[in-house]
Amino acid sequence: MLPVIVANGVSVAMTPFHWSPAESGSAGTSPLSERIARRIRDMCHARIVLSVSSRTEPLAPAPSSAAAISLTRGVAATWWYTLTAVVFIEVALIGAWTGIVAATDFSGAVVLTIAVGGLLWCASTLLLLFDYRHRFDAGPGVPWKRLIVPFIVAVAFGAVGGWLTGSWQLAVMPLAQSVVLLNWPRGVRFRVVVAATLLLVVLAFLDSATYSLGAGVPAWLPGAYAALLPSMTVSSLWFWDVLVTLDRARASESRLAATQERLRVATDVHDLQGHHLQVIALQLELAERLLPRDPDAGMEQLRAARVSVDEARQGTRDLATRYRSVPLSDELANARDLLRAAGLDVEAVIDPGAGSAPGSALGPVIRETTTNVLRHGGGRRARLVLTRIPDAWRYEITNDMVAGGVGSDGSGGSGLDGVRRRIEEARGTLDVRAEQSEFAVVVTVPSKVEETR
Amino acid sequence: MIRVLLADDEGMIRSALAALLRLEDDIEVVAECADGEQAVAEALRLQPDVCLLDLEMPGLDGVQVAERLNRAIATRCVVVTRHARPGVLRRALASGVAGFLPKSRGADEVAAVIRRVAAGARYVDPEIAADALSDERSPLTDRELDVLRAGRRGETTGQIARALALAPGTVRNHISVILGKLSVGTRQQAVLIAEERGWI
Repeated sequence: MLPVIVANGVSVAMTPFHWSPAESGSAGTSPLSERIARRIRDMCHARIVLSVSSRTEPLAPAPSSAAAISLTRGVAATWWYTLTAVVFIEVALIGAWTGIVAATDFSGAVVLTIAVGGLLWCASTLLLLFDYRHRFDAGPGVPWKRLIVPFIVAVAFGAVGGWLTGSWQLAVMPLAQSVVLLNWPRGVRFRVVVAATLLLVVLAFLDSATYSLGAGVPAWLPGAYAALLPSMTVSSLWFWDVLVTLDRARASESRLAATQERLRVATDVHDLQGHHLQVIALQLELAERLLPRDPDAGMEQLRAARVSVDEARQGTRDLATRYRSVPLSDELANARDLLRAAGLDVEAVIDPGAGSAPGSALGPVIRETTTNVLRHGGGRRARLVLTRIPDAWRYEITNDMVAGGVGSDGSGGSGLDGVRRRIEEARGTLDVRAEQSEFAVVVTVPSKVEETR
Repeated sequence: MIRVLLADDEGMIRSALAALLRLEDDIEVVAECADGEQAVAEALRLQPDVCLLDLEMPGLDGVQVAERLNRAIATRCVVVTRHARPGVLRRALASGVAGFLPKSRGADEVAAVIRRVAAGARYVDPEIAADALSDERSPLTDRELDVLRAGRRGETTGQIARALALAPGTVRNHISVILGKLSVGTRQQAVLIAEERGWI
């Protein structure tokens, strides 16, 4: 058996030990077993120090779900803003064309056709925009079935509008805009936009040569506007693309953090358990071999193994506790609920700013005192108060005394002694007041305690 | 002599604990039961002083057994668990359990707790209490929890509304708020989360 334990780059290799009956027979068993026991102890100590002390850096705070929800809502709102901007540009252009057509000598039917057809075309581009929203998740290939309706509408409106007004630009503009809205790869879309803009500019000049508008109408307006349409649309969409990319990066970052956290937990658990199990196995093996010849030494090893089991359990528990800490206000609310469930009449006064109270100092106090009230219970009332006083936090828990309460069996006092040490380390004070019918613990902790948790 | 009933579905643990407790002079193990139903029946027949109940048992769990026994006879119940799930201590205390301790405690400590509880005191293990204090708080309001509770068996919105005397629209509003708070897609998932964390 050659256990090799690697921890944080430090490897501790145990020399193989071979038990030979001849050797033990002559030299006696206890010195050797002591030696092995000492080695086990040293190994335990070195290992625990290595595995636990190196990993006490605070955990990254998880983003609260409320913040995540508001962020998701913000992203959705930005999408609607982008959509509205694009549609607004289109509707304004249709309005400009309708105005121009109305100002020129066209019949009312033509004006109506341009206005209604234009709005219909704007509505059809909505379908393309909805597809655009999820372009990052869209599979490869072109969804022809989804494209067919918007493109038929664009071509039909262009044909009718161009034929009625005689404008080449109006004939081509709807189709050009619909093409720009397609899910093009990044570089290709730039070329599409440049091509569409050039085409619309050329057609605008062609129109101005062959086609005369009514007097007093700014003839360049719809032409220039139409030529700018593709680039304005794409800049709005570009804004949306940037936002989606950032949002994806944020999500993958938090996923990565969660994965790293899981890995760390797995490593910690594996290190801790693997180590303890190895020590226990060794102690048991030793006991097994010692028992026939030296029962006392064997029993000693069995007891040591039991202690190791306890240590392993405690270590696992400490590890679990480190990964589940809740805000102080939650802890107090839980305490209140527990005491209520135990049938006590509970009054709790918790400062709304309790989240900023020093949790590492006050948490253990709350745990210990609540447990005491529960354990030595049988009382009727309890009162929990956490308040802010100048430069400090004050926590007070009061309950009515019952016969055989805290201290009378010795178990309550020792727990509070541990708490007192912690509080004194944090430069706070702890007072225990036991009166005829009331038991109170009052703790004050300076508000600027260095958080060690 | 303290008469004790043991209930644990794991036979090895049950018989080992029974053997260890029988070594104590003042404790008599009067029954060993393998599940909750049997524990209730035996306890009602034998009227033991203390019932030591495993939390995780098929059929009725330890807390449910304690609840039934406390209604019927004057016995003191101690619940033992390997891992206390969130909310379980609160539920146990509310149903009148006199003691709660983890399975990792040695038989001598269990015997000490049995003596304390038999003498009328209550015992809550500090580790379990500490775990219970660091439970995650429910982000849901009482009304939202009512809605989840009323719909935990897959009832329709209409049925929930009738059960709580609310308008169906109000129930739908509550549900959409719940789904948002828990970031889940369906009411069933929300119920699962709430049950897992001991909120309902």
